[in-house]
Amino acid sequence: MMEMIREEWEGKEILLQGNEAIARGALEAGAIFYAGYPGNPSSEIIETLAEASRELPIYVEWSTNEKVALEAAAAASFAGCRAMASMKQNGVNVVSDFLTNLALSGTKGGLVLVTCDDPGGISSTNEEDARLFAHLAGIPLLEPATPQEALHMTRWAFELSEKIQNIVLLRSVSRLSHTRSNLRMDKLPDFKAAPYFDPKVPFHAFPVVEKDLARREKLKIAGALFENSPFNFYNGPVSPELLIICSGCAWNYADEAVEILGLQNRTGILKLGTTWPLPNELVKKHLKTCDRVLFVEEIEPFLENNVKAFAADLGKAIGLKEFMGKASGHVPLCGELSPDILLGVLGKLFDKQWQNTAFIEKTAAIVGDRLPPREFGFCPGCPHRGSYYAIKTALAWDNRNGFVSGDIGCYSLGLFPTGFNQVKSVHAMGSGLGISCGYGKLEKFGFDQPVITVIGDSTLFHAGLPGLINARFNNADILLLILDNSATAMTGFQPHPGTGTTLMGDKTDPVDPEALCRALGVSVEVADPYDMKEAARTIYRLMQQAGPRVLIMRRKCALIQGREGGLPYIMHINRDLCLGESCGCGRYCTRIFRCPGLIWDKTAGKAQIDEVICVGCGICADICPQGAILREEKA
Amino acid sequence: MDPMNLIIAGVGGQGNVLASQIIGRAAVKKGFMITIGETFGLSQRGGAVMSHIRISKEKKYGPLIPPNRAHFIIGLEPLETLRIIEAFGNEKTIVIANSRPIHPLNVIAGDAEYPDPHWIKDALGSACGRLFWLNATDLALDLGGPIMLNMILLGAFCALPGVPLEIPDVEEILKTIFSEPDKLSANFEALKIGRDLILDYKF
Amino acid sequence: MELQHQEGQAKVIAHVIDAGICVRCGACVGICPYFDCFNGKIVVMERCYAEPSRCAQICPRIAYEPTSPIKNDGAGGEIGEYLKVVMARSSDPGIRNASQYGGTVSTLCAHALEKGFIESAILTDRGEGSRAPGGCVAKDQTEVLSCAGSRYAASGSLSEMNRAVGAGQKNLGVIGLPCQMEAIARMERAEPKESLMAESVVLKIGLFCTWALDSEQLAAFLKEKGVVGPVRKFDIPPPPADEFSVETDKGREVFPLSEVRPLIQKGCAFCQDMTAELADIAVGTVEGREDWNTVLVRTDAGLSLMESAIADGSLEIDELPMDHLNHLKAAAKGKRQRGKQAGARSS
Repeated sequence: MMEMIREEWEGKEILLQGNEAIARGALEAGAIFYAGYPGNPSSEIIETLAEASRELPIYVEWSTNEKVALEAAAAASFAGCRAMASMKQNGVNVVSDFLTNLALSGTKGGLVLVTCDDPGGISSTNEEDARLFAHLAGIPLLEPATPQEALHMTRWAFELSEKIQNIVLLRSVSRLSHTRSNLRMDKLPDFKAAPYFDPKVPFHAFPVVEKDLARREKLKIAGALFENSPFNFYNGPVSPELLIICSGCAWNYADEAVEILGLQNRTGILKLGTTWPLPNELVKKHLKTCDRVLFVEEIEPFLENNVKAFAADLGKAIGLKEFMGKASGHVPLCGELSPDILLGVLGKLFDKQWQNTAFIEKTAAIVGDRLPPREFGFCPGCPHRGSYYAIKTALAWDNRNGFVSGDIGCYSLGLFPTGFNQVKSVHAMGSGLGISCGYGKLEKFGFDQPVITVIGDSTLFHAGLPGLINARFNNADILLLILDNSATAMTGFQPHPGTGTTLMGDKTDPVDPEALCRALGVSVEVADPYDMKEAARTIYRLMQQAGPRVLIMRRKCALIQGREGGLPYIMHINRDLCLGESCGCGRYCTRIFRCPGLIWDKTAGKAQIDEVICVGCGICADICPQGAILREEKA
Repeated sequence: MDPMNLIIAGVGGQGNVLASQIIGRAAVKKGFMITIGETFGLSQRGGAVMSHIRISKEKKYGPLIPPNRAHFIIGLEPLETLRIIEAFGNEKTIVIANSRPIHPLNVIAGDAEYPDPHWIKDALGSACGRLFWLNATDLALDLGGPIMLNMILLGAFCALPGVPLEIPDVEEILKTIFSEPDKLSANFEALKIGRDLILDYKF
Repeated sequence: MELQHQEGQAKVIAHVIDAGICVRCGACVGICPYFDCFNGKIVVMERCYAEPSRCAQICPRIAYEPTSPIKNDGAGGEIGEYLKVVMARSSDPGIRNASQYGGTVSTLCAHALEKGFIESAILTDRGEGSRAPGGCVAKDQTEVLSCAGSRYAASGSLSEMNRAVGAGQKNLGVIGLPCQMEAIARMERAEPKESLMAESVVLKIGLFCTWALDSEQLAAFLKEKGVVGPVRKFDIPPPPADEFSVETDKGREVFPLSEVRPLIQKGCAFCQDMTAELADIAVGTVEGREDWNTVLVRTDAGLSLMESAIADGSLEIDELPMDHLNHLKAAAKGKRQRGKQAGARSS
């Protein structure tokens, strides 16, 4: 990764990931200020820049949330420097209030907002198309289709931003962000930064209507620039039978499908990289050449709807068209695109056979439905397993149909068997706590079900504080468990305010959640998720109280413990004591506890330790009713 | 065989992504156009991982291999290897599969059965062009740990006919990753062991 | 998997726990991780699918099997089989004061420990703070006396017996209610020939019982009435008094029985055994004689214990007047009939 910023790579080709390409593009543009919040598939952008900051005079931070990140980046822009903020699609929701205001106030130094969307929601709570914010905020939108294009587009985006004095949205998707390809890099500039805020030029949105008009004028300027952009190009015959209009990563699938089906002389592909505002003349020119148009893009029919609206205005000038895409059902509305979807659509439209049906049928017959799915779970040694087990025990003892209000992080998996299905709702960052503020005021209507709220340490800083303060202010009956594993784990162990270092490696005084609670006047205790029985007793005791209460479940993430020297035990099963499936046990450890390090020997009918997977945390020894699981201290 | 399409399939944590990067970088050095598409996200938490690698002299292809067009499949885990055959394999596909299962949590819990690995081996053999069924995990453990698995399978891959990479190409890349001489030589050893598994393979 | 006719935990949950007729004997707790006794209630911790299961066989609220000894009136009539019936009391007035009526149970229990008839005794403690009474293990007289006095509420104390048996302890004595005596008898029958239970539990002292109160509801009732614990003694004096008396450090308060009846466990309605017919010795009150207990000695084990306690002077006995015995039989018969009717109504 570090080679990426060494001078000798200039002009050479190296293998880079889409996210790394975006980072490189920003560096080649001379941007000096970078901020973001971790979120798959965007995290590598800031991480790459953080590594680069060891050798280049730039500033990179993980902010507490995406809104702060964009605001901080905007400051650099107001002071005349180039800056960039990056996040996943949900992060754009978090910045939306600032973004829509910023688009009215305008910017100075080039400012780029990168969103990495997750079609299919493979590691998200939704599959949301952040391109719609380009409409909502009235700002230009760029969509790279390949890692090379991502580099060039990001670099150019700063130029565009300065030309129109407004922020530019660049949209990637997971399939682009995490794709690696050989890229050609160009020179790195001098990174001369001289931030200065001109007090004669304020940044605000008043008067609103005037600023709104100005914003729309800026968009027109961008639209004019887009007409000749190298990011838009056409491949195909002059008068195709079918015109494919596509943007972003989807272009790859369309291009290859046309090649596989041999449709190069019958189909034309208009690939757009500048998708809002539309390059009107270019689109009009191609709409005139063909009456059948197929739209291909990830998630929403954004490009589709924009072109259709434009076509409606053009009316007779282009004639009647048959538009196909998500609205017509040719392309699925939900889920990620793939080559086989494109092959399917085109194969049907042109009546071409492409499937290896014989092989598929033969294999399906052999395999049948004998392949079990692979369930997600907490890592071996994960403290969340212990926390949820303690919660489950306390709720069972209490016996009043209590439940858990959940949040975003590894611990979201508490929805599933790995977390004993304890969590009953998960939405956005901090929502678990906000929702519990509501449950916490239902007592006057006779609500007596205990609600336990879980939140991670990073999530607490991101979005949990207003909810906590609200609980204090309105005296809501909430029991908040802060699952403090000293990490932003799910996204890859990025530092956060509680971990004690910044992204660039400076030591900081960690923000202490205990001190925070005390300062708020909220009672706070600490428990150990590895001591499940004791933690359950503490949780039960706290459940019987009223008002806002916090219990910090503190134990480092198992993966961090592994890196810091490992966990203390080697585990064994005493097969003579193990009851297995019989009454008295009923396969309790593998069936209920479900740690991947603890497996089942079917032939012997006994539990077994998988030494390749088990990390030696030892807590399973406490759940066996026979005491058949044994801890041996490592030498 | 242009583009050459390779899939590396496994379970999160097995080193899938690292293996694909090593192949990619080795191929770039030899002047090929490479695209590697990854599917990961929650994969660290026990889920399946797939890397699609496309090696071409002509152009950079898209990040996903079209249906049934994989020439080679490296399977780090048997169930995940069989799982992708129907969508991406064909009669000519050459498969290198590691034999050692990683039980999904739902199997451990008794909610589902893990198929008999012998049946998986037979199924892979019937479906594909050629199967190399390797007890690579045991060898990896002897060499120092489960993470050596992907080095062994990389070495095996380089020994296959039609593959444009050789072990020295991979060694060049490993030199830029591992600075400690012990680690480096252990990885070199793993590559050779993998190669020998293919050369000495009895069908 | 919620089929009513499954033989495992599902049956206990459907027929007993969800049906609201659990009597909190605690027999299902401590033999597996799937049940627990918390604050006087039996809670289901997880669902178990092991079958056949012991919980469904031993639960005294699962329909009586054909092998149940209490299906018929039995040879002893309304009060079961017995070798001897007497009045008895502790010879120590201090013990009588600290206990219920004659202090016979505490005396027999302490004597059994002292003389080595048993190594530990499973009793019900007094609870602590907001924690309902639960099972406890006593090894000497002091510990026994700390448990003295009737709770009038179920405690799940057999959970402690199960834990002791599971830990390999032998020579246990169990003091409990008729439902608990039945659960132990079922456990003995459920096991193969060399019965773990029969080896481990060598003495069963049963308490006469008409009904038991729900601990949680009792606690709520006391809180509502402003009774601040801990409670030293509960008492239900014999008719014509229609009272439930509660004695704390602050004094004695009395409530009409009609206010307390709603707190009775629903499962008690099905019980047909007033005098703990499956115990070695069964102990109850003597109406009108606050200082004495009625004692039914049923087995040789019970007889040797009582004779030993008499011999060393810790226990005094006297003849039980015939009209008391007749009255006891009538009361027991009444309970059996009500229990049968309740069973018939619900099937």
